[in-house]
Amino acid sequence: MSDSYKRDIKAALNDSFLRRTLDKFAVEYRAGRDRVFSEVDERGLIRRIADVKDAAAQHTEELYARFKEEAERRGAVVHRAKNAAEAREIIAAIAKENGVKSVVKSKSMTAEEIGLNAYLGAEGVEVNETDLGEWIVQLRRERPSHMVMPAIHLSRGQVADEFEKATGREQDHENVDKLVKTARAELRPKFHAADMGISGANFLIAETGAITIVTNEGNGRLVNTLPRIHVALAGLDKLVPTLDDALTALQVLPRNATGQRITSYVTFIDGATACAKSPSGRKILHIVLLDNGRTAIAKDPLFSQIYRCVRCGACANVCPVFRLVGGHRMGHVYVGAIGLVLTYLYHDRDAAKKLCQNCVGCGACKDVCSGGIDLPRLIQEIRARFAKEDGEPMMSRLARYAMRNRTVFHRLLKFMRFAQKPFSGRDGFVRHLPMALFGKHGFRTLPALAPKAFRELWPSLRRNVENPRFRIALFAGCAQDFALPHQLVAAMKVFRYFGVEVDFPMGQTCCGLPLVALGEKDAALDVARQNITAFAGKYDAIVTLCASCASHLRHGYPKAVGAEAEEFSARVMDFSSFVHDKLDVTEKDFARLGWKVAYHASCHLCRELGVKDAPRALISAAAHYTPTPEEETCCGFGGSWSVKFPEISAELMRKKLDNVCSADATHLALDCPGCTIQLRGGADQGKRAIKVVHVAEVLAAALESGEKDDNEQ
Amino acid sequence: MIEQFTARAEAASAKVHAVADEAAAVHLVDSLRAEKTAAGLEVGVVRAAKGIAQTGTCIVVTDDEDVRLKTMLPEVSVILLDAADILPDLPSAAPFLRAEQTKGSPSYISFITGPSRTADIERVSAIGVHGPLEFHIMLIGGRP
Ligand code: SF4
Ligand code: SF4
Repeated sequence: MSDSYKRDIKAALNDSFLRRTLDKFAVEYRAGRDRVFSEVDERGLIRRIADVKDAAAQHTEELYARFKEEAERRGAVVHRAKNAAEAREIIAAIAKENGVKSVVKSKSMTAEEIGLNAYLGAEGVEVNETDLGEWIVQLRRERPSHMVMPAIHLSRGQVADEFEKATGREQDHENVDKLVKTARAELRPKFHAADMGISGANFLIAETGAITIVTNEGNGRLVNTLPRIHVALAGLDKLVPTLDDALTALQVLPRNATGQRITSYVTFIDGATACAKSPSGRKILHIVLLDNGRTAIAKDPLFSQIYRCVRCGACANVCPVFRLVGGHRMGHVYVGAIGLVLTYLYHDRDAAKKLCQNCVGCGACKDVCSGGIDLPRLIQEIRARFAKEDGEPMMSRLARYAMRNRTVFHRLLKFMRFAQKPFSGRDGFVRHLPMALFGKHGFRTLPALAPKAFRELWPSLRRNVENPRFRIALFAGCAQDFALPHQLVAAMKVFRYFGVEVDFPMGQTCCGLPLVALGEKDAALDVARQNITAFAGKYDAIVTLCASCASHLRHGYPKAVGAEAEEFSARVMDFSSFVHDKLDVTEKDFARLGWKVAYHASCHLCRELGVKDAPRALISAAAHYTPTPEEETCCGFGGSWSVKFPEISAELMRKKLDNVCSADATHLALDCPGCTIQLRGGADQGKRAIKVVHVAEVLAAALESGEKDDNEQ
Repeated sequence: MIEQFTARAEAASAKVHAVADEAAAVHLVDSLRAEKTAAGLEVGVVRAAKGIAQTGTCIVVTDDEDVRLKTMLPEVSVILLDAADILPDLPSAAPFLRAEQTKGSPSYISFITGPSRTADIERVSAIGVHGPLEFHIMLIGGRP
């Protein structure tokens, strides 16, 4: 990847204004969002948006035909553009035909997509952006850095400087209200003078041919009212069958975009209304629908979900990487998680390649998406395609070969224990296997492989339990098996104490997630089948202490392997859920430790598996749970794939540890070996006086101190 | 619903005036207009067709450009709403919208919730970018 892009990322990380703004925003946004979503059925609404849009993607032609018929019956002209160039030409021709000299424009991401302003400018038409943020970035000749807040990367001082240049008058550099009034005064005459208004549209309603425009500033309404011509530009993906569908989405869009119940203005226009300025007495209304690859994508079984996007921007708002580097490095035209995907699909594959490497796969975007789009899955697929196309064929081949054969794989890991020398790769393979632990990452110390893997300790640990409450099988996962076996040893203590008989099937191997990340689908399928066979015994549950493995075994296997995985996957449980939900452990079971324990909610546990209460309840039962800010924000390890930018990973980790240390906890507990490696290494390196432990270790320590007390009595 | 409408509209920076009847509303509008005009502010007055309790929204039929501009250009916007016309939530507005959009002539329906606002500069919330700076609702029959 180019050095200039790397430099760009570094510069963003050093831009303290941007960082402070985005940090503050991230926290406030969450709070505001939670408040307004508590009043509606969030999941139900998201589900309905997804269903409507999925169906719309499959019926675009019918919807388009109906929309066109209804809109034209009401006096509008509906155009369809195959690509960006066609859309630009259609709009330029409308301008020419009507002798348009100046245009006022409200926010339209689709116009950004087709590069409309530059084109019209070259045709001699003056285009004035009227959305405040868009106007600011237009004055600066920049791109918007966020879909909803285009100028979020700028300070009021920078805005004031720009306004001074534009107006030739001195501006207040502190008072935002005054700057807003400057924009009002400056733009009003432009609205009155313009011949044509160009807007986007949030929904195109097929049943009545109406368009819906959602705004806060009120510029959109002036744009489509004051000039005699109105051109609305929107992607074909904005078509919905009915008014009810638009109203459903309208309950989510503003809540997700800005934490509002509704925006100041929502406008429904069906057809050409009366217009005094127009020679015919009617508005000249043109609606341009853009394809630009959309109908092709609607046929893709995986990527067709992008039709569900309502451009709310939430996926950027919650993305920990967006927060670090800002929108200009997290998307080409569209930003945030959807920006990464759309850049790949529509715009610039080279840019997409760089951008997708920014994602740490934390799943925060998927969790809030208005349409429930599985964004991390799509990004993962894009990365895997790049990796396959031209990525690391050597590494893929090695992984495919080594991991398909468990004995070879495990022998390799054991060999690495002796080698103990940096395996200086820079890709996912190295990070995911315990070999990753040798990688050079200055910001954390990496644990060496343990002298004995858990599978070697197993014979001395196995016990028969009389009348066991449960018989379970333990799935170790590579990282715990070979690098952190003490976490599993602690779990064994807990199981034994609560009367659980444990088996450790020796035929088990890597869950296969790293292979998925490398795009090695066949090898991933192979290891999955090996595991399913290894765990064919009669077990009440298959328990793992690794949140990433748990989520892949539970959700990834049925998708990849199909029905034969269902029986296996249904029995998979993460450690905390098993102990909390099945063993009904309470505080009476423990002698409470004096530890003050903070909690890090691993991405795979809290979002992929939706496990939130169990670990916190267990910690409270065994020690003193100390809540800290942003517990569910990613630690930067990059659960399911590699991070090409150690700087980003290091920054996420630093922030995480800052949050934890702000609460003066003695311990930080979590449910994932990946997070353990990241955070324990980081705490060591930063000389922070906090011990990073698995939840199982907290419970084991509390049982041990209890046993001691018993002995002393 | 009146309580919810009022609370939600005020959360969106609207000022809700509960008045007993049409006459009281007209009286209040007159005095408001006199006061604002004296302060050099323009006042635009329109009538809402419906309200939405859950969001504190006024639905105004603005097919007529003059009516539409009255809700956009003046610094002070006043909307008269009959309390009996308040609907519970967004989905319940569908039949009204459908009727308007199939009435035989093109329509322009405005959902208006509070004054115009922006947070585009440093995310500082500012009122009155392109539209009204002040937003009043005369809620007729919303008790005196
Ligand atoms: S998975 Fe996480 S890092 Fe990746 S785009 Fe989504 S929020 Fe950002
Ligand atoms: S992908 Fe989802 S969260 Fe992102 S802008 Fe689209 S709807 Fe919003």
